[in-house]
Amino acid sequence: MRDKTAFKQVFKIKGGDFINAGESSIKIRNILKEIGIEANIIRRVAIAAYEAEMNVVMYAERGLMNVIINAKNIILRVEDKGPGIEDIELAMKPGYSTATEEVREMGFGAGMGLPNIKKNSDHFDIRSVVGKSTRLEMVFNLNGTKD
Amino acid sequence: MGQKIKTRRFHSIKIDKKRCIGCVRCMQHCPTRAIRVRNHKAVINEERCIDCGECLRVCPYNAVIPITTSSADLDKFKFKVALPSPVLYSQFGQYVMPNEILAVVKDLGFDLVYDEAWMCEMTSRAIEEYLDENKGPKPMISSTCPVVVRLIQRLFPSLCELIIPIEPPREIAAKHLRSDIASERNVAEDDIGIIHITPCAAKMVSINNPETMKKSNLDGALSIKAIYNDIMLRLKKAKKPHILDAHSQISGIGIGWTIEGGEIRGLKYFHSASVSGVYDTIKILEDVEAGKLRNIEYLECLICPDGCIGGPLTVENRFVAKRNVLRMIRTFGGKKRVDSHFVKKLYDEKYFSFEAGVKPKPFAPLDKDREAAIEKAEMIEKISEKLPGTDCGICGAPDCRTFAEDVARGDAQLSNCIFMKKGKGKK
Repeated sequence: MRDKTAFKQVFKIKGGDFINAGESSIKIRNILKEIGIEANIIRRVAIAAYEAEMNVVMYAERGLMNVIINAKNIILRVEDKGPGIEDIELAMKPGYSTATEEVREMGFGAGMGLPNIKKNSDHFDIRSVVGKSTRLEMVFNLNGTKD
Repeated sequence: MGQKIKTRRFHSIKIDKKRCIGCVRCMQHCPTRAIRVRNHKAVINEERCIDCGECLRVCPYNAVIPITTSSADLDKFKFKVALPSPVLYSQFGQYVMPNEILAVVKDLGFDLVYDEAWMCEMTSRAIEEYLDENKGPKPMISSTCPVVVRLIQRLFPSLCELIIPIEPPREIAAKHLRSDIASERNVAEDDIGIIHITPCAAKMVSINNPETMKKSNLDGALSIKAIYNDIMLRLKKAKKPHILDAHSQISGIGIGWTIEGGEIRGLKYFHSASVSGVYDTIKILEDVEAGKLRNIEYLECLICPDGCIGGPLTVENRFVAKRNVLRMIRTFGGKKRVDSHFVKKLYDEKYFSFEAGVKPKPFAPLDKDREAAIEKAEMIEKISEKLPGTDCGICGAPDCRTFAEDVARGDAQLSNCIFMKKGKGKK
């Protein structure tokens, strides 16, 4: 079934582009504010979108962030072309990171990205094909309940 | 009618329609996109204006008028107190010291003049007390600049809880003065008029409509510009420095509050950062919203460039004023002028605390109905694609995207765009 009203937009994310990193998540936040989404939900989307965007910048070649907003929820889908994740369970552990020393020195790659995304979303799904791609799906409910 | 008067009093800026020629400068500079040009005149949207004063800075025709307290308003008080922002000390060259300036200000018709720098240092200690026990989210954000508070309420509502619940020095000083004067000089509290001498008009908003208390402790604000000439003439006439006995020990830490970084320089070991200017403040708040600055404990944000010395109602060029401040900091030193035990006692009594937290006040959504709002967001994207993207401002909106938003909200018509009229929009 198709949603009656849904706002859809796609943002391109370039791997290794630390200069423009975070731009997509700012645009998403501004749209959410215009629509009048509650402040606490915007904050959670802001953190999750930023972390997801940074993951693409830090580890992948390129990626796409899909945003779908309907009356019930906000769906963020981030798909990248990159190395993939070998052990998802391990990657979800707070503090675990495969970031290089250089990236860490810039203040990124503290191993909190995925746990933070999970913590801030109402529904979280991650799939990965090693050597190929990673796909994250985050859902934020708009009726204020967390499932 | 009544409401109209109220909304007019809410802001500290108005457009002088006689002087405004309807150019697009203020409109394109406004960080909250609050200005539109209608019928060749700039119009400020009361809801979106945060009183930052950017329009006042860029208008070449002096058509943006700051609204501050007039001297006629002052006359209704039996006992008049001047509470100058320490920015005033930076306005008269490097050899005129704060005490001379305070003495001259008193002669302008005040019964008492009070040095705020000391209270700035007191507030620094109170902030330290708060940060010492803070286990909540980070970074905490300074509450000093009234425009920053409004910017957060409007544009970053989810960050309201990060505003440190400590009143700024001007409010604490006025509170202290009122009770002190009432008891020591036997004057009724209502007869005391405490007037801030201010580098920006935005203080008027926090005085008329405080966000964290029922009623401000201040009764008004006079601009530095308004009394600058009088002070200058009197300083020139005085043969030898005219010095007040009280407050001869000016706080170097307190004076530092007038320049960006000064507030955090007065704090001990905390991880902190400072930012000034409205656009840089917005940028850093975007980072805070994304959770990027969690390792910073305290963030000083000031809307005016380089801090309060860059306020639109100052006279001295801000770079010179900054040098004057730095020189004064050297003269008065980093020596502590306040008693930490005294601050701790007041802090525990909640003397510095907000009466109530800052509440989010986000802009009105595209539509009250969620589905309709989502539809309008879609519409904005579609309209934006058609527009030329040149952000020329001829339609009366600051940029093409905002114009698209105005059309979606029903506040403008697509035919207002000259490119659309000629059918030259992107197909």
